[in-house]
Amino acid sequence: MKIKILPLKDINFQDERFRISYYFSLEKLSLSIKEIGLIQPPLVSVLDKQFVLVTGWKRVLACRQLGLSALPCWIVTGSNPLRLFLMAFYENLTTREFSLLEKAEIIKKLKGFGEEERKIIRFYLPLLGLPAANYYFKIYLKFSDFEPEFKVFIHEKNMSFHCLELSANFDSWERKLLIPWLRVVGHNKQKEILEYLHEISVRDGLTAKHLLNSKEIKEIANSKNLSPLQKANKLRLFLRKKRYPKLHSLQLAFNSWLKKISWPKQVEIDHTPYFESDELKVNFKFKNKQEFKNNLLKLQKVVNQEKFSEIFNLNLNEND
Amino acid sequence: MRMIKSNYIPHKIYITQESLRFPLTHKIISKLKQIPHEIINNHQSLIEDFKCSEDPVSQGKKFILLAQQKGEFVKPCPCTPYYLGCNYFIINLELNCPLDCSYCILQSYLSNPLITIHVNLEDLWRELDVFIAKRKGSYFRIGTGELGDSLALDNITELSQDLISYFRQKPHVWFELKTKTVNISHLRKLKPPENVVVSWSLNSSIMAQEQEKGAPSIAERILAAKDVSERGFWVGFHFDPLIHYQGWEKGYAEVVKMLFRQINPAKIAWISLGSLRFPPDLKAIITKRFPKAKIFFDEFIKGLDGKYRYLKSLRLKLYSHIVKSIVKHGGSKIPLYFCMESKDIWRSVLGWEPKGKKEIEQFLSCPLADKKLVK
Repeated sequence: MKIKILPLKDINFQDERFRISYYFSLEKLSLSIKEIGLIQPPLVSVLDKQFVLVTGWKRVLACRQLGLSALPCWIVTGSNPLRLFLMAFYENLTTREFSLLEKAEIIKKLKGFGEEERKIIRFYLPLLGLPAANYYFKIYLKFSDFEPEFKVFIHEKNMSFHCLELSANFDSWERKLLIPWLRVVGHNKQKEILEYLHEISVRDGLTAKHLLNSKEIKEIANSKNLSPLQKANKLRLFLRKKRYPKLHSLQLAFNSWLKKISWPKQVEIDHTPYFESDELKVNFKFKNKQEFKNNLLKLQKVVNQEKFSEIFNLNLNEND
Repeated sequence: MRMIKSNYIPHKIYITQESLRFPLTHKIISKLKQIPHEIINNHQSLIEDFKCSEDPVSQGKKFILLAQQKGEFVKPCPCTPYYLGCNYFIINLELNCPLDCSYCILQSYLSNPLITIHVNLEDLWRELDVFIAKRKGSYFRIGTGELGDSLALDNITELSQDLISYFRQKPHVWFELKTKTVNISHLRKLKPPENVVVSWSLNSSIMAQEQEKGAPSIAERILAAKDVSERGFWVGFHFDPLIHYQGWEKGYAEVVKMLFRQINPAKIAWISLGSLRFPPDLKAIITKRFPKAKIFFDEFIKGLDGKYRYLKSLRLKLYSHIVKSIVKHGGSKIPLYFCMESKDIWRSVLGWEPKGKKEIEQFLSCPLADKKLVK
């Protein structure tokens, strides 16, 4: 390897075969180069009579952004593409954490450069912080095939692995339809929307596209009175109700019971999550003896009603 | 893998170097003379190799690993937090199973996908002697069917005979062989001890056909149970997992009817009930391995233990229906119990609420002395 000052125009930027990162900000790096210059030269290889970047994409792009015409580069000899890619991989591995999309790109490129599948799973996946199992190899390959628009969205929203995993259940068109809904909510709500949508579509034998184009969802999307966040939340609740109809009807029955017996507003009442236990919990605040007494009296009034005991049969009365 | 009724034959046997000194290893090799075997030094590396395959669970079912149990053979059944356990003990003699039930928890529970037989039986007997001696004077139940099927490999191992011979001498222990197979040929040769229960997992016929790949039909299982019960063995049944599907009421009523048409209720030691439940990480495996199995997209909630299970209202319906059918067909005196359920469920369905797992244990095993077989 030797160092050479290379004109930027001589580098073939179209050739991205060794590139790992696509979505990044050059702001800080440009500032650093501007202030103290390029400390570590990128690695370039001569392939098909052209200079191809092996490592240092960010550095070279920052130099280009700064208007530099040339920069020092390590020129690496040898043309084994897998070996060259591993140079890029190891240089990055030692200095930073890879994002989910970068891991996907690395796995795809290792496979593309002919690395044996078994070796990728057993050796490289643990290096990437992933379990050495075929499932992760396959799912990351799926992530690498996501369309660029969705990849940008993943990067911007810093989507979680689980959300990417769920997104892999949809086709590219469906993912595109989902972006506006997912853009305005956090990870947990993204997960809920993706999960409900997928599970309803499998259960009912419908495509997610069909569901997203349904009358109800279109109505939410076109509602002029709602903000994007309110729309996304409404969609989430609509899908939740559709996914869990029995749970929804139990909740309705519980609310209706509260109304029927005129449950006092000053006393909070909670059931266990999903009505899994028969237990109920009441909670109220008081500042003095009189307030305490008042709450007890209100509760006493409720208990004396005939309909009070209906709540203990909620699970038994739920229809199949 | 070939599974003709219950005669599982693997593609190959892997044998750890250290397992060569145990008689069971040689018994299995001679039983499977026609099957290639390979002696290996590092079975962990073999397991890691299997995990690289597209479907490690299916791949693992084609091979047998003969290894030494380095840890404890006997453990308390792990049950699940926040729900009632039943004080059952499990013997980890075999791991995994040639059957391929869609809902099987072993798909995610075990990190080793190979069908593994622990061959150091001498250590098992020693460990059992100590374990049982510590519990002298109290009845308890123990079985081999938690991390594998008790009889699915019996044509190869003949372990049912060894285990029954051992437990015959331990009259205060209920020993249970739990299976979905009809692999009873070795049991037929034995004089039935009074403290051994051969039990079958049952489901509705349609669910068994759709979700229990490789397992004999429900009718065949019940006929096998009839065979052993008529030879004098106690039998048990596990309606677990009960599955909610279109037509479940009729499906389960038919199985209960079929069961009591063939089996004398007085010979049934117990019947357990449990509904479909699975940990979240199993869902991804199931949906990948069984993409057509829509049962996993029913309305599940996360129970108190974090596992997916049906809403309580639905579980109550499933259980009440089966219990009514059992009572209707003459099974009112059979001890019924729930697997991984709450006290609320016990009270609502069976009309009583055990104080804890010890009381369930007493309920199921104390009548041992009184449960004289009706011949």
